[in-house]
Order: sequence, then structure tokens, then C-alpha cells
Amino acid sequence: MKDIHVKETKYTPEIIYTAADNTMSIKGKSYPENADEFYAPVFEWLEKFFKEDNELHLTVNIELVYFNSSSSKALLNFLDMLEDAGDNDMKIVVNWIYDEEDDNMLEYGEEFKEDIDSIEFLLVPIESA
Amino acid sequence: MTDCIFELKNDLNKNGIFFCFSGPISQDLIVEIGDTLKNKMRLEDASKSSMRLVFSIIIEQAQNIIYYSEEKVRPWSAGVNAGSISVGIITVAKKDNSYIITSGNMIKTEHVDKLKEKIEKIKGMGKDELKQYYKSQRKKDPDEDSKGAGLGLIDIARKVSKPLEYNFSSIDETVSFFTVTTVVAEGL
Repeated sequence: MKDIHVKETKYTPEIIYTAADNTMSIKGKSYPENADEFYAPVFEWLEKFFKEDNELHLTVNIELVYFNSSSSKALLNFLDMLEDAGDNDMKIVVNWIYDEEDDNMLEYGEEFKEDIDSIEFLLVPIESA
Repeated sequence: MTDCIFELKNDLNKNGIFFCFSGPISQDLIVEIGDTLKNKMRLEDASKSSMRLVFSIIIEQAQNIIYYSEEKVRPWSAGVNAGSISVGIITVAKKDNSYIITSGNMIKTEHVDKLKEKIEKIKGMGKDELKQYYKSQRKKDPDEDSKGAGLGLIDIARKVSKPLEYNFSSIDETVSFFTVTTVVAEGL
């Protein structure tokens, strides 16, 4: 599967997948007016990835400093897709990377983690910028 | 006009309002509003946590205007096929060490009861109930008449220091003016 690189804008995150280390990263802010529209191509790519690639593992780093409520819904859909792949024996690790002083981001991470069974979901604090 | 502006300025001052925008609200403008407020709060040595809260609440309130305002304008420069832009008002005040964000926009009068019911329901919930409600709503498909995820007000209610305040002023049979006020106490 080819690498992807969606460039960061003022209100959408950078999204990268590198095949060399099977790592996907979502980094920055996410508050587009229409989150479904923004994430649709990423989801399409992910669906294709799960269908066509024979990779046995995938690491996903989510490092968002802010996301709006419609992006929160998109993230849930994203994690659901990862869970489905996890159910199909793909080993998936999600790192929820957040500013150690940002209690809200920790709480959002914990809330996603509560509903996850088939993939590993790690809360990873980083030093406050 | 000259007198009116002076009066407006006095009114803003009297209410502690240091930021006010009234007009068409686009996504790009929201970015600018967010950045402007962050800079202003940084100058005031606001805590990082209250900056984050004010930022996220203002984005939700402003995007609610984009999604739901019944008052629209077409940009002058755009062609006939260009989409229209939602009109609303957003103010931010600082009073008694709290940030007070108020937004207003026209809505369909027929939607008033439903929105009122939703806000009252949210207002009656404690922290844990709000969390569960947020999570259950996030799993659902949004209402057909909802352009966002329908989560904005719940997300806001989880972040405020005081219960939401709101008001509906009936303009006529078809439109009403909806106002919502949120408070973030500094130093949380």
C-alpha cells in the first residue's frame, strides 16, 4: 500500500501513513466545518488497506491538541474500523498522545478506551509544550 | 451612526465585553476568532486550561451558528452557485474572573420547543450523566435536520463552570432569535 500524506491546515490535522514501519499518525487540530467530508478519503483509504494489504500489524499515533465534537464522532468511527480489523486478527496499537497538563484530552482518551476491546489503546502523556 | 457606535461601545464596556462579532460567520473567520482570543488571553496570563476551554466552547458555539442559523447571506464576490454564509453574533466578556461567551442566531420557530427540551435535559444532568449522554449520542446517527454531529451543546455543557443560560425571542411565526451563554471560570 502506498504511503499517504495529508498536509496540516489551520483546522485539520496532518495525516501520514508510512508503509516502512506500518505507522499511521494523525497530528494537530481537527475542527473542520464538516468532519465527515474531511475524514471520508482517509476512511476509504483505510478500508482499502485492510482489504488489500496483508500486514499483520498497524500502529496508529493520535496526537491531537484540539478536536471539535463532529471530529469526535469521526474519531469514534475511525476507532470502530480499527476494532473491526482487530477482530480479524490484525494487531493494532493506538497511542493516544496528549499534553500531560491537558485533562480534557486525557478524559477524551479514557472515554474512547472504555469502549475498546480488540485493539490495544494506550494513553501516552507527553511533556507540556 | 456616529452616536450609535459610541453607545454600542459603552454598552460593550458596561458588560465587560472585549470581543464582539456580528455578521456572516465562515470557517475561516472561526479560525481567526479562535486565534484572536488565544492571543488576548495569553496577554492576560490566562491559564492554559481556561484558554483551551474558552477556545473549544467558542468553536462549538460558532459552528452551531454555521450549522443552524436561519439567517444567511451570499458573499458579494461569489458567483450564483456559491453557498450562502450563516449570520450570527458572538461576544466574549470577562467578569469576576470568568469568561462569558454568548452567541446568538435566528432559528426556525418550529424548532424552538425541541431545542429548549434538549437544553433543559442537558442542564438537568450531572457530570457522569453528561458523559454517558455524550457517548451514547456520539454512537447515534445525527438527526436529519442536524448538520453537525448534534454533540456541540453536550460537549459545551461538560466544560462550563455554570449551567448554560439561554433565551428565545420570538421574531415572528417563522423565526426566533436564540441566545446561549456559557461561563468558564479562570483558574480551573
